[in-house]
Amino acid sequence: MMTPIFEKALLIAAIGMAGIFLFMAIFYLLILALDRLMPFREEKPAEDFFEETGTEDEDN
Amino acid sequence: MGIEQLLPAIAGMTWQHLVMIGIGLLLIYLAIARNYEPTLLLPIGFGAILVNIPLSSALTQIDPATGEAVEGILNIFFQAGIATEIFPLLIFIAIGAMIDFSPLFRNPSLLLFGAAAQFGIFLTMLLASLLGYDLREAASIGIIGAADGPTSIVVASRFAPNLLGPISVAAYSYMALVPIIQPPVIRLLTSRKERLIRMTGNNNKQISKKALIAFPIVVTIVAGIIAPSSLSLIGFLMFGNLVRECGVLNKLSLSAQNELASLVTLLLGITIASTMTAERFIRVDTLIIIALGLFAFVFDTFGGVIFAKFLNLFRKEGNKFNPMIGACGISAFPMSARVIHQMGQKEDPFNYLLMPAISANVGGQIGSVVAGGIILTLVPFFA
Repeated sequence: MMTPIFEKALLIAAIGMAGIFLFMAIFYLLILALDRLMPFREEKPAEDFFEETGTEDEDN
Repeated sequence: MGIEQLLPAIAGMTWQHLVMIGIGLLLIYLAIARNYEPTLLLPIGFGAILVNIPLSSALTQIDPATGEAVEGILNIFFQAGIATEIFPLLIFIAIGAMIDFSPLFRNPSLLLFGAAAQFGIFLTMLLASLLGYDLREAASIGIIGAADGPTSIVVASRFAPNLLGPISVAAYSYMALVPIIQPPVIRLLTSRKERLIRMTGNNNKQISKKALIAFPIVVTIVAGIIAPSSLSLIGFLMFGNLVRECGVLNKLSLSAQNELASLVTLLLGITIASTMTAERFIRVDTLIIIALGLFAFVFDTFGGVIFAKFLNLFRKEGNKFNPMIGACGISAFPMSARVIHQMGQKEDPFNYLLMPAISANVGGQIGSVVAGGIILTLVPFFA
C-alpha cells in the first residue's frame, strides 16, 4: 500500500497544505497591514477642487 | 480507383474516431444548450471534431509523396501557446483584471477558506499515486481540484502533457457543474441549523484605492521571495489586477477583461483539442481522470465546509461562520458564491450570504493559484 510514490505524494500533500495556509496567513496579515497603513479617506469631489483652486481659464 | 483513394478520410475512419466526434458534439451541445463554460467547451468540442477526421490538415501529417512532415496549425498553436505556457499565462492577466479584491479587504479572515478548499487537490494526488500514476501525473490530475482551468493547464502541460486533454476537459466541465456537485455534499456535511447561520461583516466598508494598488505589488514580491517558481502564475494574475486597479490604464484593463480573455480562451480551447485525438483520448486513463476530477471537487467542498465547522468550535455564538461559506473557497468564481447564496436563501429568504461568499470565493481564486505554484515548486524536488 505504502509505495515510494505514495509516500512522496503524502509528503507533498502535507507540505503543500501547510504551505497554502502559510501563504494565505501571510496574505491575511498583508491585507490587515495595508488596511491600517492606507486607510480609506473621503476624497474631495472634483468640483470642490476646481472651486478652491480655480481653473487655468479663470486665472488667465 | 477505390473509395480509399477517393475519400481517404472515410477509409481511415475507425469507431474511436466516431466516438471522439460524438464527444465533440456533446461538448458543443453542453456549451450551447446548457451554457456550460461555453467559451471553452465550444472550441474544445469543435477542435475534437477537427482533429478526429483522419488525415486532418489541422494536425501534423506525413506527406505520402515526399515523406516529409507537414505541420498542422493546431500543433503549431500547441508548441507556441501551451508548451511555452503563453496562453494560460495571458489568461491569468485577464483574470487578474477581472478580480476585485475589495471583498477580501472587507472580510480578510475568509481568505483562509481559500486554503482549506484546496484539500481535494492533495487528496486526489494521493489517490492517483495509489492508482499507479507517477508523481508528476498524480500532481497534474490532483490540480483539477484547483477548479481553475489555466492553473490545471500550466501544471499538466509541464508535468504530464500526455494527460492534458482529459485534465482540461475535466477541469472545465466540473467548474460548470459546481451547482450540481456542491449542494449535495454541503447538505450531507451540515445541519439545517448550521445552514441558517447569518453572517454579518464589514460588507459596506470603503477600501482605500492605495491599498488596492499596493496589494498586487506586495503579494507578488512576497510570493516571489517565498516561492520564486510560483511567480509566473501569481505574478501574471497580480499584474492583471494592478492594470485594473491603477486607474490610469482603464482601456487596457477593459481590453484584458474582454478582448484578451475572449481571444486567448478561444485559442486555448481549440489548441487543447489538439491533444484529444482518438488514440490519446479513448483510454481507460481518461475515465479514471474524469472520475478523479469529480473526487477532487467533492473533497475541495468537504475541506472548506469542515474547516468552517472546525473554526466555529472556537467562535462565540452570534459570530459563527455559516459552514456553507467554506465551500466557496474553491476557485470557481462567481459560480460557487452564487450557489451558496442561493442555498442560504432557500433555507431562509432573509439570509444574505452573497458578500461573505464572494469574499471566500476571491480567496479561493488566490488559493488555487498558490496551490498550483506550490505544486510546481515541490514536485520536481521529489519526482
